[in-house]
Amino acid sequence: MSQMVRSAARSVFASRGRFLLTGAAVALSVAFLAATLVLTDSMRGRAAADIAEALAGTDAVVQGVELGEPGGGPGDPARSVQRSLGPDITERVVAVDGVAGAAPQWVGFAKLVVDGSSVGTGTASDVGRNWVDDPALNPFRLASGQPPTEVGEIVIDRSLADNAGVAAGDVVRVLTATGMHDATVTGIATFASANAAPLQRTVLLPDAAVSAWLDTEAPTEVLVDVAEGADRTEVLARLSALSDAEVVDGPDHIRTMQDAATSPLQFLNVFLLAFAVVAILIGVTIIFNTFTLTVARRRRESGLLRAIGAERRHVLGGVVIEAAFVGTIATLVGLVCGVAGVDALRWVVGLTGISLLTGPPIVSPTSIAIAAAVGIGATILSAWIPARRAAATPPIEALRESAAEPRAVSRARTASGLVLAAAAIAGGAMAVVNSNPVWLTLAVAIVPALVLCGPAIVTATARWSSPAARRTAGVSGSIAAGNLAASPRRSASTALALMLGTAMVTMFAIFASSLTSGVGTDVREGLEADLVVTSATPDVSTIDPALADRIAALPDVEAVTALSSAEGIVAGKAEAIGGIDPTALPTMFDLDPIAGDLADLSSGGVAVVGDDPARLGGTLEIEFERSTVEAPIVAVVSRSIGGFEAPLYFVDAATLDASVGRQLDAQVFVDLADGAAADAEEDVSALVRDTPGSFLATQEEHVASRGSEIAAFGNFIDGMLVLASLIALLGVANTTALAINERSGELGLLRAVGATRRALRRIVRLEAALLSFAAASIGIAVATGFGWAMIDVTGGTEIPSVVVPWLRLAVTLVIAVAAGVVAAAWPAFRVSRMPVLDLVSGDR
Amino acid sequence: MSPHPDSAVVDQHGSALSSDADDAAAMLVGAVKRYGAGESAVAALDDVTIAFPAGKFTAVMGPSGSGKSTMMHCAAGLDRLTSGRAFVGSTDLSTLDDRELTLLRRERIGFVFQTFNLVQTLTAEENICLPLTLSGRRPSGDVLDQVVSLLRLGDRLRHRPSELSGGQQQRVAVARALVARPQVVFADEPTGNLDTRTGQEILGFLRSAVDEDHQSIVMVTHDPNAAAWADRVVFVVDGHVHDVMDRPSADAVLDVVKGLGR
Ligand SMILES: Nc1ncnc2c1ncn2[C@@H]1O[C@H](COP(=O)(O)OP(=O)(O)O)[C@@H](O)[C@H]1O
Ligand SMILES: [Mg+2]
Repeated sequence: MSQMVRSAARSVFASRGRFLLTGAAVALSVAFLAATLVLTDSMRGRAAADIAEALAGTDAVVQGVELGEPGGGPGDPARSVQRSLGPDITERVVAVDGVAGAAPQWVGFAKLVVDGSSVGTGTASDVGRNWVDDPALNPFRLASGQPPTEVGEIVIDRSLADNAGVAAGDVVRVLTATGMHDATVTGIATFASANAAPLQRTVLLPDAAVSAWLDTEAPTEVLVDVAEGADRTEVLARLSALSDAEVVDGPDHIRTMQDAATSPLQFLNVFLLAFAVVAILIGVTIIFNTFTLTVARRRRESGLLRAIGAERRHVLGGVVIEAAFVGTIATLVGLVCGVAGVDALRWVVGLTGISLLTGPPIVSPTSIAIAAAVGIGATILSAWIPARRAAATPPIEALRESAAEPRAVSRARTASGLVLAAAAIAGGAMAVVNSNPVWLTLAVAIVPALVLCGPAIVTATARWSSPAARRTAGVSGSIAAGNLAASPRRSASTALALMLGTAMVTMFAIFASSLTSGVGTDVREGLEADLVVTSATPDVSTIDPALADRIAALPDVEAVTALSSAEGIVAGKAEAIGGIDPTALPTMFDLDPIAGDLADLSSGGVAVVGDDPARLGGTLEIEFERSTVEAPIVAVVSRSIGGFEAPLYFVDAATLDASVGRQLDAQVFVDLADGAAADAEEDVSALVRDTPGSFLATQEEHVASRGSEIAAFGNFIDGMLVLASLIALLGVANTTALAINERSGELGLLRAVGATRRALRRIVRLEAALLSFAAASIGIAVATGFGWAMIDVTGGTEIPSVVVPWLRLAVTLVIAVAAGVVAAAWPAFRVSRMPVLDLVSGDR
Repeated sequence: MSPHPDSAVVDQHGSALSSDADDAAAMLVGAVKRYGAGESAVAALDDVTIAFPAGKFTAVMGPSGSGKSTMMHCAAGLDRLTSGRAFVGSTDLSTLDDRELTLLRRERIGFVFQTFNLVQTLTAEENICLPLTLSGRRPSGDVLDQVVSLLRLGDRLRHRPSELSGGQQQRVAVARALVARPQVVFADEPTGNLDTRTGQEILGFLRSAVDEDHQSIVMVTHDPNAAAWADRVVFVVDGHVHDVMDRPSADAVLDVVKGLGR
């Protein structure tokens, strides 16, 4: 056994060029997987640890009765909508036997404004809450300065202070639901030991300021400290007997908060893991190809050994040990690179605008174990399968057979692939026709169909591209095209990896562009106002309500109307509800009523967005924080006002204020008078500039900017495209190198009869280009079809139509082909430098 | 039978060379090819001086490992000499860089290997025309027709190598070597892998290329019967030219070969 290991090691070392590439592929896949797992863990882990630490002293939480499922708006991710507590709740909690301390928490919107501009953009939300004096219950700790005591004094979290360059004693302003307030920073706080609460920017206020600044009459929740010696379960039971309130056990509360803080990462994790899977697939392809060739090379030799009486395991066991050897070393390298590369991946993720991980990464043993198992396991399996197949060949056949794989493509394989493809296409068509996503599961069959049809596709590509290649590149062209079909199975497996990579990028691109366009359509078609004031943070209302009145007072302004928005529960689901002025809004934004009359909103009705006029006359129950509204449906409109969180229901602004308390405005529409002075827009602009939390856009700008949130997502996709091409690069380099190895005799012959080095390089590059082109175009085509069907069926109101980003897809194709050519450059260079006779004799 | 004592024996100093040099298709002068370095170095060619006459069919014979292939490769510009010089016509190969050497191979030399002679992805016709298409030329119809009819390949032109028999493949290889009308054709055991009848056929084609088109051909062979098709036989032993025989017969060659095997 040890001798076998030694000889395996020697054999790996002897063909180190080939194994270096294989090793690199394994290492890169493992690195990508490890980095993804570590980053995911870290982002979750940091947030979770911080929350657990900050809330450690809280034994229970009393909160409002839950109204419905979490809404998942970016402002307050995954927290449920709750009915407000009564103003006397704190006294009632304190009065419960066994409660040592109770701290009311008022939570609302508060945005720090320094030197006229608001601090912080991106995914985090701006939160204002009261400073808790009881240190056992306060999630925040004072890092420097004093706690806030008087109205006008605040404490801010440390990352906010760092970003704004603010220190204790500085004078700032704070924008809240009740407008702009002057404030003095008395101290800087940390969230447990972290610089800030996960995904939040926090301004801490004294109790005295909450009603005037946050406009809340009752606390959002009451943090409870159970007395030492008291029976916790009994205290909890007594607390749950309180009317109009719910009690949550401390650990459960922590878990809920942790889930809320990490849920925005979930979609990111899915994307990252999907790419990691593709990376591993490409890695496995490379390993598989390499070992298939290694085994094929040894087949004759092993046939001879078998013929003179060696056992199977003697012959090919070495190959598996070799694989274990390469797999282990490469996996170790990959793990080190992966952990070291977390920062690089974090940077790519940062392109989405999400930057959450503040501390050092958390490397959990589970992540390492998973990545290591995948790396080593995939390598060994990739070697074991061809080895087993070879060992099963009778010795004589092995002696006779040549090392090259058969050129013929199995008809049965292609036929079953075609059947699957037909089923997939039929499934996609059925899904679209019946608008039933269940059929899409059938469409997924396109992936195995491609696997099965791969060799036939490659052969067909070679045949079809041959005349064109010949015309453009002469005899080099037809040789390149022919080479592609020389080992169709290997070419196909490389192509498959490339295909999956481009397919994924394509799906994301189509999804993003359709979403962008969907979000933009309503605005494009409905907006009639000359100017629009928008919130500084997309989909969170941050406009000072006084601004609309100030704009209306300008001489050349004809009309102004504001839109506010709040969450309410409709049929058990949290939805955005818009508050509008039903007479002013239609002149500036055409919601396109298809039934009923918007004017009836003022008498307490509700308008629903939809395409079914029959809903008119029904009743709708909306549960708000403060009250439940049961309103007749007085209008059905076909448009909302655009944006990700566009309301699906509209009520009168006054109704909304009464139901949820005062809100900041989400948007303000402005119509200038006909023949207004040229500087009228400039006057509005000046007012908006003086109002932090608001931005001014002209009609065209607003139409263009809706959906720009997704642009950040596009950056992320581009980053992933680069990573995917990098890994695909290895795949192409590997296939090219293997192909060259196998056909070196032929390449030598070409040199012998007068092909220059350049001509040789050209053949090799052309072959890679053809393969990449075929793979990428098929990947793009299939993903376009599948993505189209999927979005068409599941898009709903948010993505009403599929928009294919042709330019981006064309760029993807170009990048994929370029990556293929670049990957082939090195093997091409090497083979062109080899002495002719070495090539001819196959002596490498 | 003994070697012809009056044949154009080439001596080690090149004095007898001058008579042949003017009409030599290719020539080696003081050629040394050493493989490896130091103790384990092998001299595959050890100071060989020989001219291959133009318009003649020369056979090269010798025991395995005597340096025949090395001689072909160095004379054809597929490999470089350790010292000494190789000429094709009047061109000194040692003065050419890789690109010039490649162009020379393409335009002035034809080469037939024992195996590995054809590009599998090209048809027979494309293989035949390869040296021409590589230099961006079209084969003149006449020459192609002539070569194709000489080798009787007319009905096989559209086939790929995998669809041809060994003999047919080798005929295609010979056609490729001849089609550019090179100054000299080198063939390293072109019939080594063929049965006797098919081999004889190939030898017949080579012979008629010399007789009808004044093609110069140098061919390595093991078979005295094959050597008998040549105008001259060169015997190589241990990297030296041992003997030269003009107008050989199979029996005379066999006698010399037996002597070598001693
Ligand atoms: N690439 C090489 N490396 C080392 N030695 C070689 C190489 N090619 C040939 N030789 C040696 O040179 C000598 C002549 O070889 P070769 O010309 O192939 O002989 P022949 O063709 O007459 O059988 C032999 O001893 C052979 O071992
Ligand atoms: Mg030889």
